[in-house]
Amino acid sequence: MVETGHFALILAFSLALVQSVVPLFGARTGNERLMAVGGPVTVTGFALTALAFAALTMAYVQSDFSVLNVWENSHSLKPMLFKITGTWGNHEGSMLLWVLILTFFGALVAVFGGNLPATLRANVLAVQGWIGAAFLLFILTTSNPFTRLAPAPIEGRDLNPILQDIGLAVHPPLLYLGYVGFSVCFSFAVAALIEGRIDAAWARWVRPWTLAAWVFLTGGIAMGSYWAYYELGWGGFWFWDPVENASFMPWLAGTALLHSAIVMEKRSALKIWTLLLAILTFSFSLLGTFLVRSGVLTSVHAFATDPSRGVFILGILMLFIGGSLALFALRAGNLAAGGIFQPISREGALVLNNLFLTTAAATVLIGTLYPLVIEALSGDKISVGAPFFNLTFGSLMVPLLALVPFGPLLAWKRGDIHAAAQRLMAAFAVALLAVLSTLLFIDGATVLAALGIGLGVWMILGALTDIVLKSGLGAASGKVMLSRLRGLPRSVYGTALAHMGLGLSVLGIVGVVSFETENILTMRPGQTVELSGHTLRFDGLHPVQGPNFTEDQGRFELLDDDQKVIAEIVSSKRFYPARQMPTTEAGIKTMGLSQLYVSLGDETADGGVVVRLWWKPLVILIWFGGLVMMAAGAISLSDRRLRVGAPSRRAKPLAGKVSQSQS
Amino acid sequence: MTRKQKRLSVIAAGAVFLATATGLTFYALGQKASYFYMPADLQAATLQPGQRIRLGGLVEPGTIVRGQGTEVSFGVTDHEKSVKVTYTGILPDLFREDQGVITEGTFGSDGVFVADSVLAKHDETYMPKEVADGLKAKGVWQEN
Amino acid sequence: MVFWFVAALLTFGASVAVLLPLTGSSRRDSAGNQHDLAVYRDQLAELDRDAARGLIQPADAEQARAEIARRIIRADSSEEMPAEKAGWSAAGRVLGGVAVLVVPLMSWGLYAALGSPDIPSQPLEARLTQNPADSSVDELIARAEGHLAANPQDGRGWDVLAPIYLRLGRFDQAVTAYKNAIRLEGASAAREAGLGEALTNAGGGIVSSGAQQAFERALVLEPAQPKARFFLAVALLQDGKSAEAIKAWETMGAELPEGSPWREPVAQALAEAQSRIAATEAKEPAAGPTQAEMDAAASMSSGDRKAMIETMVAGLDQKLRENPQDTDGWMRLVRSYVVLGKTQEARSALGRGLEALGAATENGRKLTEFSAGLGIPVSE
Repeated sequence: MVETGHFALILAFSLALVQSVVPLFGARTGNERLMAVGGPVTVTGFALTALAFAALTMAYVQSDFSVLNVWENSHSLKPMLFKITGTWGNHEGSMLLWVLILTFFGALVAVFGGNLPATLRANVLAVQGWIGAAFLLFILTTSNPFTRLAPAPIEGRDLNPILQDIGLAVHPPLLYLGYVGFSVCFSFAVAALIEGRIDAAWARWVRPWTLAAWVFLTGGIAMGSYWAYYELGWGGFWFWDPVENASFMPWLAGTALLHSAIVMEKRSALKIWTLLLAILTFSFSLLGTFLVRSGVLTSVHAFATDPSRGVFILGILMLFIGGSLALFALRAGNLAAGGIFQPISREGALVLNNLFLTTAAATVLIGTLYPLVIEALSGDKISVGAPFFNLTFGSLMVPLLALVPFGPLLAWKRGDIHAAAQRLMAAFAVALLAVLSTLLFIDGATVLAALGIGLGVWMILGALTDIVLKSGLGAASGKVMLSRLRGLPRSVYGTALAHMGLGLSVLGIVGVVSFETENILTMRPGQTVELSGHTLRFDGLHPVQGPNFTEDQGRFELLDDDQKVIAEIVSSKRFYPARQMPTTEAGIKTMGLSQLYVSLGDETADGGVVVRLWWKPLVILIWFGGLVMMAAGAISLSDRRLRVGAPSRRAKPLAGKVSQSQS
Repeated sequence: MTRKQKRLSVIAAGAVFLATATGLTFYALGQKASYFYMPADLQAATLQPGQRIRLGGLVEPGTIVRGQGTEVSFGVTDHEKSVKVTYTGILPDLFREDQGVITEGTFGSDGVFVADSVLAKHDETYMPKEVADGLKAKGVWQEN
Repeated sequence: MVFWFVAALLTFGASVAVLLPLTGSSRRDSAGNQHDLAVYRDQLAELDRDAARGLIQPADAEQARAEIARRIIRADSSEEMPAEKAGWSAAGRVLGGVAVLVVPLMSWGLYAALGSPDIPSQPLEARLTQNPADSSVDELIARAEGHLAANPQDGRGWDVLAPIYLRLGRFDQAVTAYKNAIRLEGASAAREAGLGEALTNAGGGIVSSGAQQAFERALVLEPAQPKARFFLAVALLQDGKSAEAIKAWETMGAELPEGSPWREPVAQALAEAQSRIAATEAKEPAAGPTQAEMDAAASMSSGDRKAMIETMVAGLDQKLRENPQDTDGWMRLVRSYVVLGKTQEARSALGRGLEALGAATENGRKLTEFSAGLGIPVSE
């Protein structure tokens, strides 16, 4: 089975080579048959990669230690769930997952791309083939998960304990679905450059792909942030760490792409810019892969890395980013420019959004790469951390967030900013009220914190205003309003919900950053401590035997005013003997939107334990906002008008004919 | 305004925006980036009082002292010089003697480095890159 | 065999995926601008629907309609794509052929370089249930361990495993196994003596009081138990009662039946003890604890004794630095450190030993195996 998987992966590589050359040549020479090769080859390549992945997963499930990768990262006593997730909990396996998702998306284009012009489809598949071939070659030559070990050891070395977590089961696949989803947009962009023209269908294809990739990437980032929050035991949700930035840059660029794709689809404007953004977004995804996999940057998330791999990925990076940008420079001039619009208009607002988001992405990029550049130039080692990003990124984001509610209220082509402002008066008034009441009623609230809360409220209400206005409030009866609400395109709801989710996250971040309280102390069994009105009693350390670890559970009892126990919080220090590695499991108690977070330190000589406690108000909103954004993306994606080539059911005769010729 | 003028003013506004952002970015880089030093590099370095730096090296064996409550002090060494570091809080799980470590903070007036964060890694075989480079340059440590 | 069949099948499938579209009939696709027109018409229809539902102001709708109409006109008037050639160009023919060939050739070539077709899959469960005769010692032990983890009340299992642990130098595990066997299967002379030996070895060769009691229990059950008698004599020697130890070995030697495996060790121990007494004056400091030191150690508290042992180990360490070509010395040193709980030092002693002896030499391998048995693997 293992060797079958290995062979299937090699076959997939051969097919990827065919896929990258034959359809492209067919499209150049107008040879239908050569172009037609793209589809079946892509689908077969996906099936073979899936077979390889299944074989590796099987080796993990069966603890086949004759596979080097399994021996290095698994253990026969590991719970079954972590045996399976361990498949992608390591470099080789995660790269295989990356390629699996890539070929999966390629196969989707092949299967559902029947309504695309044949040359466009062939070119897109060829570009996907290049990416696939490059990464398959990378896997086969530098990170082969099927390398064998003979004689096979009887026990494995176990997976890094902090990766033995349900968060890790979900985080990388989501992140990769996002990263790799943008590869489709990239392929469409490069295919358009190769053809020298942008089809009208181009925008209709790129928008849903961007949306889907964005939904996954949002989920991946939120999941990763939550994982770091509870698994690392530091209580932080974002560290501005290079590895986090690596996933954040494509998200910023992807968000910009999402917005400019709307302009392109609705107004046929900003075509060239959108195309460039599609290239940039995937370039950021590749850069992210490179930063995480090469270990060129110091990161709290860094795992042991192999520099030779870094060089290979750097090669891939240069080839694809450099190649596509060069192609863009050569061909962009030939592309027909799109429509025109006034600066104050929906288009204008979206351009402003793009300006802010791409600048923000550039800031993050500079902050992330600056240490590398400085070291190369002067040999000085520096680190750029949270203070830098808070200053630059923060000052870019605040005006953007404040302007978000205006965008959806402006009309296409020519908008009226005064009218929009008037309509937002109510939201603004409530937000102002939120600022004032924060200042008045919450102890220790700074002006900045109050303004932050106000910003979150403003965004949420601004998004609601849009929906309410579109229902025709005031002008129409309740019944008409309802029917209008029902008739609103889902993408309108998606927009409002996404902006609301962003507002929720802002509230959560402001809440934690401004109102968090913290206490570090040494506690002895029976001792109580109070934090922001919550009383905790330390019950003592209790040794517990886990499946592949031993742990000392520190049990804490949450007491109410009458000294009665309301809940128990367990925070523990684990020790994984296979890796001789300790980990800290934070004890978290959720109360409403806030959390009490308990982390254990070392035992002191006199029988106490160092305990770190946080009260984190509104912290849940950070990730809940992310979930809302994901849901918003999904709703938008389900909009019939976005689904590519979906024939309209209630179509007029003219449209009926059209949809026939389309399908 | 003619259309051309309008377009020009939009482009000008964009350019001003970008210039501001660039200026801000590089101002922030100058202000907020912290330099990395090994203990032996400190003599040659000129540090302003209160300047944030990152100090990296190995945790010197036998120097970890737990003081009052949650305060910990330990030596960071590159086998040439050693610097005493104090830190209040919970040390990372993988904080051990002879383990590579990066601390961030400022020097107190008494020459003791007061760290507000201590980084050790997710992976027991991992050595922080700066520390690895520095130790390799000094010939103290080789990659296996 | 099955693998080759599957591989051939997969290759065939992959080649067909390339071949089939090449041989298929040429499906004429509409020109590029036809697709554009379709999209624009769809947009028009969408606009009409929105306008009908009142989502767009009529004036805006009219403007948008005009804009889409302009796009349609532009698309109509734009040049047709170059007419597609229905037939095969020479280059296309060659490329198609190469593509079909590249799949099997490239794959089999690459697999020959990268694959290991001769290594079968080895799921752990299957390895642990296969015929014992085909298994390695490690596998057998892992199997037994797995079995005992699931059935910790199986005394016979512990009984079988205990001496194996002992022989492999996994003394702590041997102690546990013997204790379990005695608890579940009842005491026997062999088990008690084994427990004593395991305890002694786990303690670095010192016959502790626990070990001594185990040996004594063995002798109650079987007065002639050779292992127990032998080690009790060692205990006497370690307590400084050399004369009594020699006497015990002499009696034992006389009573041992012909061909007993214990004759040799007893004779050796006897000779060593006697020669040591004879050479009390001309002693070699690093050759291990001398009689006087032993006597001193016996009268010390356990803390002092440990300190003394540490000094002696340090002496041995020093000697090995001066004269590193001593395999037994290195083995003793590694074990001493393990016994003292100094894993770090044990590891470094192993490293130095291997450096001196050469890791690939016979002696080096011996040292490696010995250390691995103590739970000190060679660090990479």
